[in-house]
Amino acid sequence: MPGFSFDRSTLFVAAIAAAGLGIFGSTRISLGNAIVGETHRVDLGQKAPSGIDAIKAQYRRPLTIPFPKNNSFTPEKAALGKKLYFDTRLSVSSAQSCASCHSPGFGWGDGLEVGVGHGMAKLGRHSPTIVNTAWGAIFMWDGRLATLEEQALGPIQSAGEMNMPLDRLVARLSAIPEYKPLFEAAFPGQEINPKTLASAIATYERTIVSERAPFDAWIEGNEKAISEEAKRGFVLFNGKATCSACHEGWNFTNDGFQDIGLPSADVGRGEFLPGVIKMKHAFKTPGLREIGRRSPYMHDGSLATLEQVIDHYDGGGVDRPSRADLMKPLGLSAQEKSELVSFLKTLSSDLSPTAVPVLPR
Amino acid sequence: MRKLALFSLVILSGLSVGALAANQIIHQQGRVFSSESMTIKKGEAITFLNDDSVPHNIMSASKGNEFNLGSQPPGTSTDVSFKDVGDVQVLCAIHPRMKMMVKVTD
Repeated sequence: MPGFSFDRSTLFVAAIAAAGLGIFGSTRISLGNAIVGETHRVDLGQKAPSGIDAIKAQYRRPLTIPFPKNNSFTPEKAALGKKLYFDTRLSVSSAQSCASCHSPGFGWGDGLEVGVGHGMAKLGRHSPTIVNTAWGAIFMWDGRLATLEEQALGPIQSAGEMNMPLDRLVARLSAIPEYKPLFEAAFPGQEINPKTLASAIATYERTIVSERAPFDAWIEGNEKAISEEAKRGFVLFNGKATCSACHEGWNFTNDGFQDIGLPSADVGRGEFLPGVIKMKHAFKTPGLREIGRRSPYMHDGSLATLEQVIDHYDGGGVDRPSRADLMKPLGLSAQEKSELVSFLKTLSSDLSPTAVPVLPR
Repeated sequence: MRKLALFSLVILSGLSVGALAANQIIHQQGRVFSSESMTIKKGEAITFLNDDSVPHNIMSASKGNEFNLGSQPPGTSTDVSFKDVGDVQVLCAIHPRMKMMVKVTD
C-alpha cells in the first residue's frame, strides 16, 4: 500500500492564469480554475536497477522512417523537396537556402555559434541540426511550431532569416519553368503553393537520418565496435551523470524542454508558457547523433567543445527557480568526464557525401 | 492505548486507501499518461501520480479548468478536480508527447 504524507500545497492561481498563453493563443485566462489539492508523497517501492542489456535495448535504431498520414512519402516529393532545400532562390536575397544554416557539411547545422540570417545579421540562437527530424515531436528550440511542415515555412518567411513572403516565393518559383513539371509529378493537379512547398521540403527533411555509427554496432552486439572507455561512458550517461533522463532513446532526446542553467537572458519556451516557472529559459532537448560534428554546442552556441559541455553539466549551471530539478552538481571525476566524451564520439557515423542537386532554371 | 493506536491506524489507512479509491489515477511512468482520455463528473478529482523516474509539470490551459502543478517530483501525487463541464486538454509542459483529454460531465 502506498504510504502518504502531506508535502506541500500546490495552488498556483497566478501561474494558472498565465499558463494558457502560447499554447492557445494570446487570450488572457480568467480565474475559473480547476482545484488543485495537496501534494502527497507516494512510496513507489524499490525498483531494481536495469541491467546493461535492458538499457542497451532502449537504444536500438528504428527500422523505418515515420511519415505522417497527411504527407506520406513519395520519391517525387522527396526529390522536389531536396531541390527546394538547396535552392537559394527561396530567400528574398537569393543568397540563402535551407542548407545555408542546415548543411550536410556540418552535421546538418552550420558550425557557427548562432545562425546568420538576412543581410548577414547574426540570429539569436544556434542553428539546430535537422538530422532525424522525422522523429521530432515539436519544432524549434522554443517549440513554437507543431509540425515539420510548419517549420519548413518558418525560416523562409522570418524577416531575420530568409525574409521571403510566401506569395512572392510562389510567384518566383512559378516563373522558373523547370519547377512546374516537378511540382506536377509530386502533387498531381495541385499548384505551386505554400502547402505543396512545405510538404515537399518536409518530406526531404524526413529522409535525412543519421547513418549507422559505431555505437549502433555495439548495441547490436559487436563488443569491439567501441572502446571500453566509451562503454563506461555509456554507463555513466545512463547512471551517475543522468544524461539519459532527457537524452533518451536511439536519437538521444525525448524532445522535452528544460532550463539547464546556461547564463543566458533568452527565456526560450517561457515566451509561450509565461506562467510555468520551469519553462523560463527552457529549450528543447536536442538529439545527440553526429554530436562530434556539431560544435559549438547548446541553444546559444556558447560552449565550444564536448569537454566544456560535460563541465557545464557537472557544475549544474545557474541555480534559479526555473532550472530543471534534474540539474545539480554531479561530482564527476576527470576520468569519468573523459569516458562520457569518448562515449559521445561513438554517436558519429561515417556520413556518406550528400550530392548537391542540379537546380531548375 | 493499543485500541486507540489500532483505531488510528484503521482511520489513517482508510483515508489513504480512500484517497486512492475515490479518484481515477493517471500514471506518468515512461513519459506517458496511462490514459489518452478520461471522463469524470464535475467536481470530481483525478489523481496525477508521478510514478516516473523524472519530474513532470502537468497543466491545462483549457478555459474554466486551468491548472498548473508545477514541477512534480517522482514519488508524489496531486489531486485535481474540475469545476467546469467540457473537454480539458491536459499536458506536461516539459514533455510534449504527454497529452490527454479529460471530459468533464454534469
